[in-house]
Amino acid sequence: MNALAEFGRFGLFVATFARASATHPPPVRRSIEEAYRIGVLSLPILLIISAFVGTNLALQGYNAFAPLGGQRLVGMFVALAGVRELAPMMVASMVAAKAGTEMASQIAVMRIREQIDALEVMAINPHWFLITPRFIGILLVLPPLTVISIFTLTVSSYLVSTLQLGLNGAEFLAYFTDTTEPMDLVYCMIKAFFFGIIICLVSCFYGFNSKSGPNGVGEATNASVVVSAVSCALLNYLMSEILFSGRGL
Amino acid sequence: MERIAALGRFTIFSARVGWRVLTPWWEVQETARHTWLIATRCLLPVTAVVFPFGMVMALQGLEIFEIFGAQRLLSSLVSVAVFRELSPVLASVLVAAQGGSAFAAELGAMRIKEELDATEIMAIDSLRTHVVPRVLATVIATPILNLIGSIAGIGGGFFTAVCLKGETAGVYWGNIWALTHSSDVFGGLFKTTVFGVLIGLIATYQGYYATGGAAGVGKAVNDTVVISVTAFVIANYFLTSALFGAIQ
Repeated sequence: MNALAEFGRFGLFVATFARASATHPPPVRRSIEEAYRIGVLSLPILLIISAFVGTNLALQGYNAFAPLGGQRLVGMFVALAGVRELAPMMVASMVAAKAGTEMASQIAVMRIREQIDALEVMAINPHWFLITPRFIGILLVLPPLTVISIFTLTVSSYLVSTLQLGLNGAEFLAYFTDTTEPMDLVYCMIKAFFFGIIICLVSCFYGFNSKSGPNGVGEATNASVVVSAVSCALLNYLMSEILFSGRGL
Repeated sequence: MERIAALGRFTIFSARVGWRVLTPWWEVQETARHTWLIATRCLLPVTAVVFPFGMVMALQGLEIFEIFGAQRLLSSLVSVAVFRELSPVLASVLVAAQGGSAFAAELGAMRIKEELDATEIMAIDSLRTHVVPRVLATVIATPILNLIGSIAGIGGGFFTAVCLKGETAGVYWGNIWALTHSSDVFGGLFKTTVFGVLIGLIATYQGYYATGGAAGVGKAVNDTVVISVTAFVIANYFLTSALFGAIQ
């Protein structure tokens, strides 16, 4: 029951936000500032995580296919599992963990210090003022981050395959390019785009409805990352089914 | 420079916590309470994330195996991937995001409200009463959640392969242990134990040394998730290389 009520409140929150964004002029300058901040905040950690997920993907693919004599297929495995699934999901969870939690805690602190009430008193719509720039910013920055993550992941898995596992580099690349096509990058960016919508709305929702005191800020931050990670994972399956299924290799 | 100082502080903190873990007395009841708390809080997120990942794994795996006509090996691929990598990493990410950040928030709030100072003034060792039970709870709960997550992931693979794509159920269950060995299961458990130590120490460290009011607590929570995820993803590469290595 409680969860259902929370879901309803979230729906109302999204509706209010949509109305506020539609009826006010878009905050161009602040959106670009937010995009820059989100990108710069998330980039270093994303590079580290992508690189190490790529190394593990190569090890994993090698171990899965070696018993069948299919070591050569590591490139294909990296393309299917890494490019299509893991890279967008990783970007989503890292941006949720870094930028999403920061949004939640910033807005929660504004809520408990009554700065949001102060905005309303000054006749500035808080949804438009606080959420719209973050929303546009995250949508601008997530697709490029996904491309960077895919690139890093591929390079690191290539290095592990050739240097640690002793596979043939040309073969890796041949299987890799056979399995992916340029459109896959676009599909991954579409995925990331929807993940960005979820992360921003969920984080801002929890920040807006934060309870008072340091506990409240902690709880809001905590809830935002878990809820956005879980909903991105569920959405990821649906989108893979829609975008990639039936297309074959 | 500041980062190096923080690393040194973290090392000293870890050593102090480690010493208290090894020497009596232990807050058994508190540890049990925190373990129960973290396990129940993470249970739903872990299953809700690993299950769809098992589904995705089966979806993409079917495409690869259809080339060989080896669809029957699908469940082996799913179970190897789930036991070795997916479930340990995803379960740990969610323990960090849900349990670790909750611990950082609790300890951070205690620090800001000066409750930790009050504990010290009453001559009660705050590390022993507040930090050690939480670290132990994370270390105990993460492997358990990993096992539950593995079962959810294999169930997710089953759901896609059998219910949606019409593979045979008996073939799916029959081949689960074809390529997976018990060493994969224990390797996953060992990895999650190490990840649990990392998450527990990083979360309690961030909470214990939180500064700067309510915003500081938010920052501690934020840093906990990011730093612990980075730490164990890096550790994961070396652990996978060491445990499962390349079979030459």
